[in-house]
Amino acid sequence: MGVKPAVLLPLLLVGCTGEHSILDPAGPAARDVAWLWWGMLSAFSLVFLGVVGAWLAAFRRREHPERSASEERRLALRWILGGGILLPGVTILLLLAFGVPAGQRLLPLPLPGGESPRTIEVVGHQWWWEVRYPDEDGEVVTANQLAMPAGEPVDFHVTGGDVIHAFWVPRLGGKIDMLPGRVNRIRLEADEPGVFGAQCAEFCGAQHARMRLHVEAMAPEAFEAWLAARRSPPAQAEGHDAAREAFVEHCARCHRVEGLSDGREGPDLSDIGSRATLGAGVMAMEEGAIARWLAEHQRLKPGNHMPAHDQLDTEALEAIGAWLETLRP
Amino acid sequence: MSETLPDTSPEAQRLHRELEAVWGNPTGWRALTVVNHSTLGLRFMATGLVFFLLGGVLAMLVRAQLALPDHDFMSPGIYSQVTTMHGTVMMFLFAIPMLEGLAIYLIPKMIGARDLVCPRLTAFGYWCYLFGGIILFSSLLLEMAPDSGWFMYTPLSSGEYSPGLGSDFWLLGITFVEISALSAGVELTVSILRTRAPGMALHRMPLFAWYILAMALMIVVGFPPLILGSVLLELERATGMPFFAVEGGGDPVLWQHLFWLFGHPEVYIIFLPAAGIVSTLVPVFAGRPIVGYGWVVAAILTTGFISFGLWVHHMFTVGIPQLAQAFFSAASMLVAVPTAIQVFVWLATLWLGRPRMTLPMLWILGFLVIFVCGGLTGVMLALVPFNWQVHDTHFVVAHLHYVLVGGMLFPLLAGLYYWLPLVSGRLPSERLGRLGFWLTFLGFNLTFLIMHVTGLLGMPRRVYTYDAGLGWEPYNLVSSVGGFMMAAGIATVLLDLALHARFGRASPRNPWGADTLEWSLAMPPASYNFASLPRVESRHPLWDNPGLGGEVARGEHALAGAAHGRRELIGSEALTGRVREIIHLPTSSWWPLAAALMLAVVCISLLMRLYPLALAAFTVAVVLLLRWSWENGGHPLAAPMGHDEPADPPLHSRTQDGPGRWTMGVALLADGAFFLSLLFGWFYLWSVSPGWQMPESSPLSLALLLAAGLMLAVALGWLERRLRALGAGEDAGLAAALYGIAALGGLHLLMLMVMLWQAELAPTASAHDAVLLVGLLYVLLHGGLASLLTVLQARRATLGHVSARLPYEPRVVALLWRYQLGSYWILVVAIGLLPRLIGGGP
Repeated sequence: MGVKPAVLLPLLLVGCTGEHSILDPAGPAARDVAWLWWGMLSAFSLVFLGVVGAWLAAFRRREHPERSASEERRLALRWILGGGILLPGVTILLLLAFGVPAGQRLLPLPLPGGESPRTIEVVGHQWWWEVRYPDEDGEVVTANQLAMPAGEPVDFHVTGGDVIHAFWVPRLGGKIDMLPGRVNRIRLEADEPGVFGAQCAEFCGAQHARMRLHVEAMAPEAFEAWLAARRSPPAQAEGHDAAREAFVEHCARCHRVEGLSDGREGPDLSDIGSRATLGAGVMAMEEGAIARWLAEHQRLKPGNHMPAHDQLDTEALEAIGAWLETLRP
Repeated sequence: MSETLPDTSPEAQRLHRELEAVWGNPTGWRALTVVNHSTLGLRFMATGLVFFLLGGVLAMLVRAQLALPDHDFMSPGIYSQVTTMHGTVMMFLFAIPMLEGLAIYLIPKMIGARDLVCPRLTAFGYWCYLFGGIILFSSLLLEMAPDSGWFMYTPLSSGEYSPGLGSDFWLLGITFVEISALSAGVELTVSILRTRAPGMALHRMPLFAWYILAMALMIVVGFPPLILGSVLLELERATGMPFFAVEGGGDPVLWQHLFWLFGHPEVYIIFLPAAGIVSTLVPVFAGRPIVGYGWVVAAILTTGFISFGLWVHHMFTVGIPQLAQAFFSAASMLVAVPTAIQVFVWLATLWLGRPRMTLPMLWILGFLVIFVCGGLTGVMLALVPFNWQVHDTHFVVAHLHYVLVGGMLFPLLAGLYYWLPLVSGRLPSERLGRLGFWLTFLGFNLTFLIMHVTGLLGMPRRVYTYDAGLGWEPYNLVSSVGGFMMAAGIATVLLDLALHARFGRASPRNPWGADTLEWSLAMPPASYNFASLPRVESRHPLWDNPGLGGEVARGEHALAGAAHGRRELIGSEALTGRVREIIHLPTSSWWPLAAALMLAVVCISLLMRLYPLALAAFTVAVVLLLRWSWENGGHPLAAPMGHDEPADPPLHSRTQDGPGRWTMGVALLADGAFFLSLLFGWFYLWSVSPGWQMPESSPLSLALLLAAGLMLAVALGWLERRLRALGAGEDAGLAAALYGIAALGGLHLLMLMVMLWQAELAPTASAHDAVLLVGLLYVLLHGGLASLLTVLQARRATLGHVSARLPYEPRVVALLWRYQLGSYWILVVAIGLLPRLIGGGP
């Protein structure tokens, strides 16, 4: 069996990529776990082959040497002590020796320098993500997208806004439950700038599948710029007055737009024009996408908590959509 | 029935007719009154099989939906119902009842008994299972099935986020079905401990009985936390008591603790009997005794104990303190040790024997391959950092199917093929059987081996669809193809079983050359199993004496004959198997069916929120259950005092101790587990819940709390004195004394009710008050039951069903009084004294 795995390994590794893949780690915590996985897989494959092989061999044996009862007892005891106690015992010790340190990375322990890492708050809702950047210069709030600095640890403080959700960025590590009434903490770090997939990992109702989060790690200066741009109200594009009025009348109770409305039931829309997807990953953001979402969201994501907009005609929805698309820092 | 008796002599025929007249099942409509364990065991298994097929169809719907990305085969709402019901049906309506059915069918035959100790309870359990299962499954046909996942996490399953009836169907239906699990758990425990063949000391008991004993005790201790959780969640949904809602001081994580306190042992409740099948078959097909019998027993007991200390490993991502995680992580890995011991015991047995490859053995090998794989991924999952990554992904879905299908379904099929000739007298087809095995085995691995990768690529579980382009498509498609292949395999197996019943070759006696008692019986076994009850002096009675079956049939052993008209079997000492008494069993009856039907009415009226109707039906159910209990001991329909009764050993109702007392003891063990779970909930919410409010001063009057406790102590003291006198043969004034004791019990209840009334609890506003209310209702209910039973005992004393010569029943009731006193005072300390000592505050 020496050659085969060596040939198969690169093939396997190609199959391991993907924006949600645990086996394609992009941060130290996930990398440790990926290594743990490969290590356990190799060791346990040997155990598996050994045990199953011994069973099959017992059936294939043609010779059955005569043994005295005491010989039999000794032989059986050797099997039981070796396979039943020594084998799992050693395995467990080895696992704990490698595994416990790997777990430390995810814990929000004090850093060696004594300073605490940046904190980002994430709240899970049915079925969207609220992301908050607490800051002395003013809090920034966005939804369904998460920007973070690359190359430094970030502490995520997560909670559930309604039911239990789970925060998980597979390529960085994780995961942690988002419980109503509690705040859980997890520390993640991205090695380099990049975009990572994330998806709610605790069953949270009918649209659990459509609750994705667009995670983007940026160079620290780019991240600071990204944050700074969102501290002031979005630029007000000319010629959308009717749409703005319709928004205030029909949408403002649930949606916040910095400087215009303060609804908290639904996602904050202050920078919606700059997001990669709509509806927590249901569709890509492109021209006309918002209007389409507004018209068809109950078909695209059945059961989501935004009421249908039957009272608004297509024209009004298109106007609102066109205006929302201009909301970018 | 045309049994092939093990012996055809006229003496055996005569004995058969005599026993059949007493033990035989009624036919026609009265078949509904049957209490015989063989019949009921088969009914359990047949019903379990139907639910297995229904659960399998749901699995196929899931695989059809996930076969392609963005597939709109099912709507998201229906998909949630289907996945929830697939898990629920497989766990609660298939796995547990199926294994119980197997145990109910086999255990008396293996330990040399004629039936289980509580035949009517077996029937009652079956009806509860059937009605509960039908109620639960009907929700799917009404399109209002539970849809919060099979572990029903709150707040998703709460009234706010699941306003429909789905969660109620789950909570009420499962609790109803659980009555059957508990009934089986209690009576299997007592049967194994108290009705083994004379001489069958514990260390000579077949290993299968050890496994079932462990399973039964684990059911007894493991199911009550879930029942408590279900009761609390249903109360929250129906009345708004905030046990799990943060706003009122509850905590959704409490549900998770209660669920997994049950849920993890449940995995071993399913695995242990299946491992018992392996431990039974491996030595038979290796042609030698198992090596390391003692090791296996130790492994069984260790598994049972450790399995109650692992539940938190389902909750590693909840944010549990790190130290606790390390503890539960290590404990979860430790459970690999007893499992590995068994795997290597089986291996050594094969190695030292001359193994034969038969159809049952093929399924055992399939079990080994799959289960070892599932066990190894289980050890991986016990490692917290790895768990954090793959928890709630398809990796876990793959793992749990490896453990449950590998650890339960494969051994079960091995067992079915193995015991089939006993039930039908025919052999299955080797060729079709093998085809069925290979389709199932390959289909299973195609589905679930691949699914590990899907999980590692980041696909969460319970998503109704996924986008193309994430790399998950080919794996999901292969899993779906594999799933349908496995379904074809199961269909082939069923076809084989159906054909065999019609065309199978007649089986010789003891076709596999087995060593255990069930193979000494007629094929199929007669209603009474053993025409006479043999002594058992070794672990391998049939290997020692292949002619045992004939001896038994000719009546050469104990209790041959039934001219007295009683269903009799031998009661033996728990440890040594020495004969203690003759147990007389009740016969076919309508009471179990009537009581279960009435409970079904309770269940349905609770579902429809018709609470007055539910209360009325509950009252009728209690009356029916008490009426059922009336035909007992010296009652004319049970075993009235008469001239033809044996003196040495005596009938159990003439002694101070008997199976009913043990049954009460084991049932109280379950009750105690329920009570402990409630205390756990109290202390958990008090110490951990984020919004818990402890009032400045306790709303409960300390004076009344203590006075009620003293009254209870006086009542029990009086009862104990009367019992000692009764034991010494003194029964004058017994009825009056029992009435007096019941009256004191009534005073105890009255004080509690006054205290409850004075306390003015606000259970819908605060979790604190809600838990107090449930705790007090608990002791009120038990106190009420104890007093009521004592009144009935007093009446029975007047009628002469209880007397110095029939001293047995009050001793059974006394256990309930002792339990009430103990649990009452523990409750007083927990909710009355400790808050005063430690003080309120957050």
